[in-house]
Amino acid sequence: MDVTSGPAGSPTTHNARSDAGARRGLDGDAVFRVLVTGAGVTVLALLGAIILVMLFGGVQAFSTFGPAFLVSNVWNPVSNHYGALAPVFGTLVTSVIGLLIAVPLAFGAAFWLTQLAPARVSAVIGMAVQLLAAVPSIIFGMWGFFVVRPLMAHYVQPNLRHTIGHVPVLGALVQGAPFGTGLMTGGIILAVMVMPFVTAVMRDVFSSIPPVLKESAFGLGATRWEVMRQVILPWSRRAVVGAVVLGMGRAMGETMAVTFVIGNANRIGWSLFAPGNTIASLIALEFPESAAGSLKLSSLMALGAILMALSFLALCASRLMLGVSSRQARR
Amino acid sequence: MSVLAGDLREAMTSSAMIAVKNLDFYYGQHKALHGITMDFPKRKVTGMIGPSGCGKSTLLRVLNRMYDLYPGQRATGEVMFDGRNIVAPGMDMNRLRARVGMVFQKPTPFPMSIYDNIAFGVKLHEKLSRAEMDARVEDVLHRVALWSEVKDRLKSSATALSGGQQQRLCIARTIATRPEVVLLDEPTSALDPVSTARIEELLDELKKEFTIAIVTHNMQQAARCADQVAFFYLGELVEIDSTDRMFTAPREKRTQDYITGRFG
Repeated sequence: MDVTSGPAGSPTTHNARSDAGARRGLDGDAVFRVLVTGAGVTVLALLGAIILVMLFGGVQAFSTFGPAFLVSNVWNPVSNHYGALAPVFGTLVTSVIGLLIAVPLAFGAAFWLTQLAPARVSAVIGMAVQLLAAVPSIIFGMWGFFVVRPLMAHYVQPNLRHTIGHVPVLGALVQGAPFGTGLMTGGIILAVMVMPFVTAVMRDVFSSIPPVLKESAFGLGATRWEVMRQVILPWSRRAVVGAVVLGMGRAMGETMAVTFVIGNANRIGWSLFAPGNTIASLIALEFPESAAGSLKLSSLMALGAILMALSFLALCASRLMLGVSSRQARR
Repeated sequence: MSVLAGDLREAMTSSAMIAVKNLDFYYGQHKALHGITMDFPKRKVTGMIGPSGCGKSTLLRVLNRMYDLYPGQRATGEVMFDGRNIVAPGMDMNRLRARVGMVFQKPTPFPMSIYDNIAFGVKLHEKLSRAEMDARVEDVLHRVALWSEVKDRLKSSATALSGGQQQRLCIARTIATRPEVVLLDEPTSALDPVSTARIEELLDELKKEFTIAIVTHNMQQAARCADQVAFFYLGELVEIDSTDRMFTAPREKRTQDYITGRFG
């Protein structure tokens, strides 16, 4: 701060500022500091509170079943016996299918939008991508149920069974009655939901690369693909992996859309077309039917805790991966 | 006899590597270059001076068709390089850019190791064995006087180098693909005086092998490094001449005013 802009005749800027504070009777800086510190602490407290609620709620289930809760795939309200394996399996499989479909598509879309598409087209489609990301998940659920499910039941699974149904390993993945619901349908819905989000992040990252860096690579005679592969991707690796992990987080926690098409059967099997379950849709379906203080409610809380742990694990894994690769790049 | 031989050599070596004729350039509707005609003699340094926005960088970006990356930019006229008009349609852009290398205002190391920064461009155009690539990397690092500074950390990231080292690495990276022409766009404007001096020394070495075009805002630099100097003003080529004549007896008043610092 320069002295000339302070009140005339004030000897130093410091005095000028404290005079102003005294006039108002309160130091604005201190108030601001308290407010923003409070906001920061609130975020932390909320996170802690959520974790505690999940853990305390799940204590009954964890103490009743012990570690077996994690590896049992029974979910039987009649005999009051619960295990987490089937929904955890379903959550992981649908998320991975979703990402396997969404990430290449998102990458291709972001690459095309930032490197190849004419500016005007890119702007329009970029907007459409963001609108797609804002579509409420229940809409995707209905679309999945009324459009994707019949397609899977009438065309995709029967055809796959005809073609690769007898191949040893692949065949096992397409067995079962063609209901149309199941892990694959859930994964496809998740892919459609996650893709716009991942595309939007990748697009921002790819277009934020300094033009000179790109021009340097082109200046050496690299093609667009070579520039993407060897310069833009390494440069934006951290953000791209971040985008994928955030997509994974969204896929794992997605509830309504998946509940529509997953089939809601508590089972584990090889077939990707058989009905299954995910943690989030199991909780959504069973929560209203669980009495307060019941073992079932506690089991659902425990599942919630596991879902949070899975999300944290994904985040930590990405951090670790990124940490290692960026250290390699730097040294 | 020896004078004659000298003249002959002079005549042969100063044949035009790139010949620009009636070149116009447009950014959309805006015409940025007006009928430029000039030669870039083989194995000589051509300095390009002029106030900001005069079109000198634009001309540089025509010579390797860098403008092609951006929609709405186009050039008309003739830029003859190796018997072909490079601004005409149908040029193989990747091949052209390997033959006409470019170094930018700011050092732009790629986010990879020092070794890979150099190998990157080479790999795009040549299949070399591991040993050949090692030799190529060492050779170009020697030539930009960077070898002794980085030979023990070739595998570490190039972004950890100082600005001057990074810029020398970028030059090494450019000459590693064995181009015929090297374009430099204010290569020392982001560097300290010591690094600048080293780059200028380097230019003297490089012109034995490459045809060089350098854009600079620094009159002393143009006077020190260039064999011929071109002065641009408002998208026109005002004057082009040998460095000596340009700085001692310019024909145009505008040139005189600019190089003596009266405007610009």
